[in-house]
Amino acid sequence: MTEPLDIDALTARYVGPVFDEKTFTFDAQELADFAQACGETASRYTDPADPDFQASPTMPTRLHPGARFPEGFPEVAGLGMDAGKAIQPIAPIRPGETIVGRTHMHEIYTKTGRSGRMVFFVNRMELFDASEQQLAVSDSRIVIREKPSE
Amino acid sequence: MSESNIATVADVEFGVELPAFLPDISIDNVKRFAVAAHWDFPRFTDHEAARSEGLPGALVPGIMSQGFFAAMIHRWADGAQINSIDTIFRAPVLVDSTCTINGVVTDIDEDNGQVEIDLTMLNEKGETRVFGTAQITLPV
Repeated sequence: MTEPLDIDALTARYVGPVFDEKTFTFDAQELADFAQACGETASRYTDPADPDFQASPTMPTRLHPGARFPEGFPEVAGLGMDAGKAIQPIAPIRPGETIVGRTHMHEIYTKTGRSGRMVFFVNRMELFDASEQQLAVSDSRIVIREKPSE
Repeated sequence: MSESNIATVADVEFGVELPAFLPDISIDNVKRFAVAAHWDFPRFTDHEAARSEGLPGALVPGIMSQGFFAAMIHRWADGAQINSIDTIFRAPVLVDSTCTINGVVTDIDEDNGQVEIDLTMLNEKGETRVFGTAQITLPV
């Protein structure tokens, strides 16, 4: 038997504060390979020799924070499934620069259907360069299906 | 090679469909992507390993499907600036299958050059596996 998660209590306690900070650097050829494998044709994403070469707009959604949930977050049933990604590119991400990703839990919400309630956890990673200019906002949605109490 | 023929927002009509895009989801290309993305896990790159995890076969990473959406937009409008793409992973996409991505323009703000596009990735049976919405900006 699994007790339903108290969404309001989890939201009040965990949504908002940054729980992880991690730095990243990117290799030009890896960025180009990423873009080419996706079928990109714009040379600013596929050709490291392009003077405006930069990461593909969706590249930040590949980044993982160092921790999946905030410290002390209750264990949830199962591993959860990747329900979706959202990306807001703000400024170009260039190879070689060091950027920092700060992650907070952005939202917890539910959807209820015939098979029970599903709980969605949205982690938001915000990316900044060395001068603290924001480069992108990347949301990752994890969903779990609650097992109904017996 | 670019297929782009959209230069400004004036070139876009409400309801127009983007040229359908058939992404390369062969095991070799998914492997290339997985290595570049640092997502080189057997469930994405090895059918047998994926089946041993109870999956029907190796899966295309969701983030790769999202990357296909962005590529499709740039093939249609090379200079498009992507402001956001929100992607929902409804069901798995199998490596070495055949998928088609369709897109349709659902909103245009001609004053600001902003365009909204709904995107859908379908399998061979015409079932939606991944869908999303993109907001882009084109020159006015």
